[in-house]
Amino acid sequence: MAQTGFCDSKALLDLHKKERRVPLRTWANSCLPKERCPPAESMERWEMVPKAEQDSKWVRVPLSAEEGIILDYAQMNTTHADGPKEEAMLRCLHGLQDLRILVPSLLRHEMELAMDKLGLIYDRTYAWDIFSDMMRSQLRDTFPSADLPNPFTENTRAILVDWLIQVHEVFHFSEESLYLAVHLLNRCLRQIKVSVASLQLLGVVCLFVAGKKEECLLPEVSELCYLMENAYTKHQLLRMERRVLCGLKFNLSHCPPLHFLLLSASIARCSNKMVWMARYLLELSLLEGQCVMFLPVQLAGAALRLARLVLQEPSTPESEAAWCISSTIHVGSEATLLKIMQILAVAAARARTRETRATYIKFSTADTMCVSHHPALKGAPCLLGLTSMQT
Amino acid sequence: MAQEVKYEPVAQIGGGAYGTVYKARDRVSGQFVALKSVRVQTNQDGLPLSTVREVALLKRLEQFDHPNVVKLMDVCATPRTDQETKVTLVFEHVDQDLKTYLEKAPAPGLPAHSIRDLMKQLVSGLAFLHSHRVVHRDLKPENILVTSKGQVKLADFGLARMYSCHMALTPVVVTLWYRSPEVLLQSTYATPVDIWSTGCIFAEMFRRKPLFCGESEADQLGKIFEVTGLPSEEEWPADVTLKRHNFSPRSPRPITDYVPEICDLGEDLLKKMLTFNPLKRISALNALEHSYLMED
Ligand SMILES: Nc1ncnc2c1ncn2[C@@H]1O[C@H](COP(=O)(O)OP(=O)(O)O)[C@@H](O)[C@H]1O
Ligand SMILES: [Mg+2]
Repeated sequence: MAQTGFCDSKALLDLHKKERRVPLRTWANSCLPKERCPPAESMERWEMVPKAEQDSKWVRVPLSAEEGIILDYAQMNTTHADGPKEEAMLRCLHGLQDLRILVPSLLRHEMELAMDKLGLIYDRTYAWDIFSDMMRSQLRDTFPSADLPNPFTENTRAILVDWLIQVHEVFHFSEESLYLAVHLLNRCLRQIKVSVASLQLLGVVCLFVAGKKEECLLPEVSELCYLMENAYTKHQLLRMERRVLCGLKFNLSHCPPLHFLLLSASIARCSNKMVWMARYLLELSLLEGQCVMFLPVQLAGAALRLARLVLQEPSTPESEAAWCISSTIHVGSEATLLKIMQILAVAAARARTRETRATYIKFSTADTMCVSHHPALKGAPCLLGLTSMQT
Repeated sequence: MAQEVKYEPVAQIGGGAYGTVYKARDRVSGQFVALKSVRVQTNQDGLPLSTVREVALLKRLEQFDHPNVVKLMDVCATPRTDQETKVTLVFEHVDQDLKTYLEKAPAPGLPAHSIRDLMKQLVSGLAFLHSHRVVHRDLKPENILVTSKGQVKLADFGLARMYSCHMALTPVVVTLWYRSPEVLLQSTYATPVDIWSTGCIFAEMFRRKPLFCGESEADQLGKIFEVTGLPSEEEWPADVTLKRHNFSPRSPRPITDYVPEICDLGEDLLKKMLTFNPLKRISALNALEHSYLMED
């Protein structure tokens, strides 16, 4: 009989077996009341990579145009060679034959809880609408290429972002403001003409504008100038603000990857440590020029998976089930995820010795569970490299 | 293009909190627009927060082209002097706001079916905002526009914002009369504040005068409790300075004492909107399915 209950990170990373999806059946099984589980279903079995799994064809079936962009889930083929036992188990599941109906409603329910917990919604009636809106609106948040117009290089951008991360901390701005500021910076660098001499000014203005959108308490313009050692006047700063706002045509919306990360982590019942690790990895993505080409939900998904891989926390059937429900959020192809994970893994391995260390330092404190010091981060690229060499 | 060149001013419409609103004509298309200008001193804090949020939110919402949200057509920045810049938001022009509309309605006031129609549009605009994580926070008749054909358009997003984790701390300056109890008590608040305001406006459509006209936060709460009764101790938020015992005990009075013309279904919806506990207050989405609004 095929034991499909696995969600082991290594298996998830084994991406070259064509289009393998997070197996739906996994959590379907584990959602069963405990006593229904066959006694043989021990922990070891959970970690097994079952053969049958690899042959099965997982296809994405959008429920509707709406849910197509949201859900990543496998079609349930009840006649599949998984044996009558599994079929029977599935039927037990509240007597529902068609899991296509069940998956979205479970995810919906979990999403409602998660959004509520994170304070993203007040009224659960709107949870799914708002999540759909987030999924849709993030599509506008990517860039076709990582190239920056002359004379800016990836390195100058990284140095500026690193400095903004420090300034952002000084003002106790929310994380949303930081992600928005860097997003605005990425757009400005491509859309408005600025000289190298006013690059820092541009960065600060992006943070200031992000603050105007997100924060209750704003720094004085003079404080901002002071932080730049008065290299620019207030007048110059405010003129830059106007240029930024007009250049961006006041489009200041951005769906922060952090929201996706926190939602997924909450649905997946991730440990605090795993959430901090993922947040650290996600923040490192701000410094990586190439990451602008990916969707926020993908960056978040990759950060979370990499955190899971690095930490190797012992899993339980419950945690696997929760992880699998959260994995039904559509994050795009496995190849893309692997690519992002590789970028992040390399960034994390280098973080300690780099010039741009603000994030590394920020996540080295006890408040953040010292995640940036985690010993396994050094070997993270290896972990990924090995698996990717298999084909 | 500079706003002076593109638009020819026709008349002043309203004196707003940050500047004046003008009716103007697009010199090219002949179309009427409403210009809302803000003067920005180039030596202070830059563009006011309210303008940044208003424009950013409307920009985000415009792609959905919702019939009950006012359209922002353009934003112009015109330097006036070295010390000052004028930023102008260009809106589609709408004939009047709900305040004027109610004032102009001939006695004995709006017919029941018009009220229902206005409410339907108001609530559907609100459901749209709320499902995009936007809380308006300043709903009142002056900020609701009504076209000559009776189409409702929500306007003035100067206080609106995207709902997110750190909302509760922001102080609000919403007009007292439409403020919800949780805002008056300075407790946490969210989308239900807009529903409370909508309830007040609903009653005002019948009355043609505001429902609760308090003079201070405490007075406003007192006026509210005169109608709804003093909420129970369990309902009272825990973390607030104004305590329940500061108010005299009252039992609820029939809302029909204040809004005699309202029908039974309307009364039911109104009560659900003017529920003290924001968790129990009806949501815009559910209000849309309320029998009062489903009727034709
Ligand atoms: N698009 C418009 N068409 C017609 N009148 C408008 C329009 N926008 C605003 N007004 C009028 O101007 C007044 C003030 O505008 P508003 O946007 O509410 O600014 P404020 O933030 O200053 O209150 C409104 O109460 C309304 O009467
Ligand atoms: Mg107004």
